[in-house]
Amino acid sequence: MDAAEVEFLAEKELVTIIPNFSLDKIYLIGGDLGPFNPGLPVDVPLWLAINLKQRQKCRVVPPEWMDVEKLEKMRDHERKEETFTPVPSPHYMELTKLLLNHASDNIPKADAIRTLIKDLWDTRMAKLRVSADSFVRQQEAHAKLDNLTLMEVNSSGAFLTQALNHMYKLRTNLQPSESAHSQDF
Amino acid sequence: MPATQKPMRYGHTEGHTDVCCMAGDDSGVLQRGWRDGLAVKAFACKNGKLVTAVSNNTVQVHTFPDGVPDGILTRFTTNANHVVFSPDGANVAAGSSDFLIKIVEVMDNSQQKTFRGHDAPVLSLSFDPQNIFLASASCDGSVRVWHISDQTCAMSWPLLQKCSDVVNAKSICRLAWQPKNGKLLAVPVEKSVKLYRRETWNNAFDLSDSFISQTLNIVTWSSCGQYLAAGSINGSIIVWNVETKECMERVKHEKGYSICGLAWHPTCSRICYTDGEGNLGLLENVCGSNEKMSSSKVPSRVEKDYNDLFDGDDASNGGDFLHDNALEIPAFSKGLMHDDEDDDGLMLRSHILEDDENPVGMTWTLCMWLSPLFLTQGPWFEAHGYKPWRTHSFSVWNSIGIIRCYNDEQDNAIDVEFHDTSIHHATHLSNTLNYTVATLSHEAILLACQSTDELPSKLHCLHFSSWDSSKEWLVDMPQDEDIEAICLGQGWAAAATSALLLRLFSIGGVQKEVFCLPGPVVSMAGHGEQLLIVYHRGTGFDGDQCLGVQLLELGQKKKQILHGDPLPLTRKSYLTWVGFSAEGTPCYVDSEGCVRMLNRGLGNTWTPICNTREHCKGKSDHYWVVGIHENPQQLRCIPCKGSRFPPTLPRPAVAILSFKLPYCQIATEKGQMEEQFWRSVIFHNYLDYLAKNGYEYEESTKNQAIKEQQELLMKMLALSCKLEREFRCVELADLMTQNAVNLAIKYASRSRKLILAQKLSELAAEKAAELAATQTEEEEEEEDFRKKLNAGRTAAEWSQPRPRGQAEEDAEDGQEADDSEDRPALHKHGQNSSQSTNSSDMPAVKSGEKYFKVNSKEPAVSVNSARSANILDSMNKSSRKSTSLNRAANTEKSTVIKPLIPKPKSKQPISLDSIPNSIPNQTGICLQTGFQMWLEENRSSILSENPDFSDEADIIKEGMIRFRVLSPEERKAWTNKAKGETASDGAEAKKRKHVDESVETEEQKEAAKENLRLPKKTKASGLSTNQKLAAFAFNQE
Repeated sequence: MDAAEVEFLAEKELVTIIPNFSLDKIYLIGGDLGPFNPGLPVDVPLWLAINLKQRQKCRVVPPEWMDVEKLEKMRDHERKEETFTPVPSPHYMELTKLLLNHASDNIPKADAIRTLIKDLWDTRMAKLRVSADSFVRQQEAHAKLDNLTLMEVNSSGAFLTQALNHMYKLRTNLQPSESAHSQDF
Repeated sequence: MPATQKPMRYGHTEGHTDVCCMAGDDSGVLQRGWRDGLAVKAFACKNGKLVTAVSNNTVQVHTFPDGVPDGILTRFTTNANHVVFSPDGANVAAGSSDFLIKIVEVMDNSQQKTFRGHDAPVLSLSFDPQNIFLASASCDGSVRVWHISDQTCAMSWPLLQKCSDVVNAKSICRLAWQPKNGKLLAVPVEKSVKLYRRETWNNAFDLSDSFISQTLNIVTWSSCGQYLAAGSINGSIIVWNVETKECMERVKHEKGYSICGLAWHPTCSRICYTDGEGNLGLLENVCGSNEKMSSSKVPSRVEKDYNDLFDGDDASNGGDFLHDNALEIPAFSKGLMHDDEDDDGLMLRSHILEDDENPVGMTWTLCMWLSPLFLTQGPWFEAHGYKPWRTHSFSVWNSIGIIRCYNDEQDNAIDVEFHDTSIHHATHLSNTLNYTVATLSHEAILLACQSTDELPSKLHCLHFSSWDSSKEWLVDMPQDEDIEAICLGQGWAAAATSALLLRLFSIGGVQKEVFCLPGPVVSMAGHGEQLLIVYHRGTGFDGDQCLGVQLLELGQKKKQILHGDPLPLTRKSYLTWVGFSAEGTPCYVDSEGCVRMLNRGLGNTWTPICNTREHCKGKSDHYWVVGIHENPQQLRCIPCKGSRFPPTLPRPAVAILSFKLPYCQIATEKGQMEEQFWRSVIFHNYLDYLAKNGYEYEESTKNQAIKEQQELLMKMLALSCKLEREFRCVELADLMTQNAVNLAIKYASRSRKLILAQKLSELAAEKAAELAATQTEEEEEEEDFRKKLNAGRTAAEWSQPRPRGQAEEDAEDGQEADDSEDRPALHKHGQNSSQSTNSSDMPAVKSGEKYFKVNSKEPAVSVNSARSANILDSMNKSSRKSTSLNRAANTEKSTVIKPLIPKPKSKQPISLDSIPNSIPNQTGICLQTGFQMWLEENRSSILSENPDFSDEADIIKEGMIRFRVLSPEERKAWTNKAKGETASDGAEAKKRKHVDESVETEEQKEAAKENLRLPKKTKASGLSTNQKLAAFAFNQE
């Protein structure tokens, strides 16, 4: 899976918007949405929220966790812990990115949040790299990784498994083959 | 002369509040907020400097009175709890929750002295007037005296209760040195004040009083050092003369809140105090007999002081932020000061300590459904007459949109934003006229400002929905008349003025009616043609408010619905919101969070429909009501964490609360259903109102409501049945519609409660009679017409097949005459109201299904309750059906249906004995066909033999006599014949879609099984069998 696909999945996450128009329920295959009352918060999938926001039809209410204080706490906790800590949303990265790109005017302290999420992400990725490193070094057969989001798994999963494959091949073929005499001359 | 206690005023949002009084030029009042996440934790003021301990663990200096930040004095690792100035004003001492005390020079913050020794957060500090010692109280239970010079502890007493944190401390233990020489140190300990001598540090004496029932929080010396005031956590304030140890004053806080701030006026005999809920109070003439204390000017000034203390805004710097702004801004650090610059003119100044993040001076105030925001708050108004204090910042949040007013120094503007951008785009207005109130509706934005020295009060309307090019108008009020409240309705605007006048305008600016208000207006609201005015009726007792309410209709027919009735409020609360529900029912909210709605169904009484406080998590949380919807039942409001007013940033989101009527035992099933039922009733009153006033509404809504109510009643009935509460069942049935009563009867009989079933059927009959009685008048006129109609029927109509009866018919034929008398009794069951009024003159019960198939000849119809095996199922169906039909039936019926003379209650003994009768009854109905056919055949012979028979009854009588004479075989033959015809007739009948059809066979079988068919002969008393038969026979011709 690539990042775009993960993002696509993330767009199904519900976010709260405050519409500025009035519309009855809309019936979609994925479920009913609405009704939309001006000024009244309503939960819609992210894709619709962004679409409406782009057309200036709504105001996005930032998710509860998208708050500087909470994220600071989360980041500090993440830094303190050896293992991965639970994240506020299974798609926190995608949500943050999309919401901040399209609705930053509705999110107080957007820049701080962007930084905090980036920090959180970086910390987690660093942890992932470190654990992958020790995993490879100690030549473990299996490892347990809790609280990883889809995006995080996909960011290194493909590469790691492939790398492990290669390493396995290299280890099992320690004897140089016929074609390996290229260094001779 | 005893101290006079002025009424409390709202000074601040709830929370720890402090007050201090400054000597010399800077005497005044300061209050501070101590709230979750809020800025100011403590403050002190002296010599043009204001020092505040802020929640970001710093102690900051501000200039006073401008409030400009002037640097950070010192920092702690946690919040500072108390800051005090040294007597010379050069140093500031601060005690913090990190157990440290620091003394910092105001001019040079590098000069710091740190006092270590406390093992818990420091509660309070007090500087020795001679600047040698510093006294401190801490959560570790100790009170210490420190040498300032070498930061050593001179003395330590374990006096207080230990606790872990300031918030857990029972008492904040504000100790105090005696002014001037500092001979004594007063420490509030439990219920007494301990006084310690300087240097020796022994306990000189204790001051206590039987009046003190709770721990003392604070002590303060008067500036002369002669008096000592103490405040307790349950709101008592006691003043002693220290020399005589005599108790001078005993005052109790009107609401018993904890006294957490006390300050003596430096020269006058006044004490200003604050409580834990943010109220500010003033005691006048404390120890008034003492000349030392009070200057000669005091008595003359006393009266105006309190007013001026808070309302001096008019006189003075209008551009400044006034205290009311400050009070409403929960999220900001705030200071409030009263600047007593000279004795003649008290100047009021308030300012806000700016927090970089938030625009200052922007608040949400009150908002309403299409209505204004202008509400007075706080019981202190009553004492001084109405005075709008919410004058310098306002905003509206109603179901149409939001109005925000920014009036900080740089910008004085109004932002209008619409929830639905299709109404109008957002606008930005400059606020040059200093508008104080505003409101907006679908059609217009209405603004009003107070009069100034040069300019009169103005009403400004931005009529954006106007189709011509001029979209605004401005009206000047007469001299000395200020607009105090405004509201908008559909096509009109209203303004209440200080001259106790209500001025109506059309939305285009035409002046319309003007009338007098019975009292100073508190608030107004408009919706459609309705105008709701709330005003002060007088002074309330004991902290209660005394408000009146007027409700007017300004439509074609102008009338007053509520004539200045008293407005019920929770005790000691004030009004916070007035408006209409989206459907047009007046509602209001008081400061205790109780939402009340007008119950038009109960003589315009007010019913509490929700208590928003029940939804609040914290004690200081509130809900800010934005709108009320009756269908769907929604209370739209903004959750305000730790304040009464929503924050402006981040923009709060609207939450939806459900309504709950305060019924008893809501935890039980019974209570729940009762609550649901009455809620449903109240929340559908608006339908009746709409209908009465010629508005359109959806019939389906009403039907749904009735269905819902009947379902609930049925459930309650079932529950009572289970609990063997039969009397209660009947009471419940009394609330039901006829239709549901019939189902109730069925339910009762099924659950083998025959007495109940009997009672219920009596009730049903009674109901039917009542209904009939109301209809009699109109219907009587129709009687003749009806007869004609009957006469016009064809024989075939009357000989409708009764398929189910036929089987049992045989051998019973001979009884037909008798049985026919019983027949009407059958009709009793399973008829709805309309039916039972008219059905007994019909030969058979009509099926509800046939209602839709009325033929043109006989539009007289009635509805029968459809039946099915499942009671509740059928109830759903039938109630839906019947309700949809009721309206039509009512109108139609009255024109066509022959009335039934109001039936007396069925007094005939009904018992199990009579049940066997039900079987003959069935045949009685069926007989008709057999006998009918015979009669038809033999009619001519009867007529020829009795040419004088003109009356149908006679013919039938004769026919019956003859029919009886026939042998059983013959009769059987006729019956069979009839049966044969039935089959064909049945199909035919359907084709013809005639009304007159027998009850569904299924039903009757079922009924027979249940043995429920109790004969009720009385039912038929209005029309004798003969008459009916006569009518029947007449038709044959």
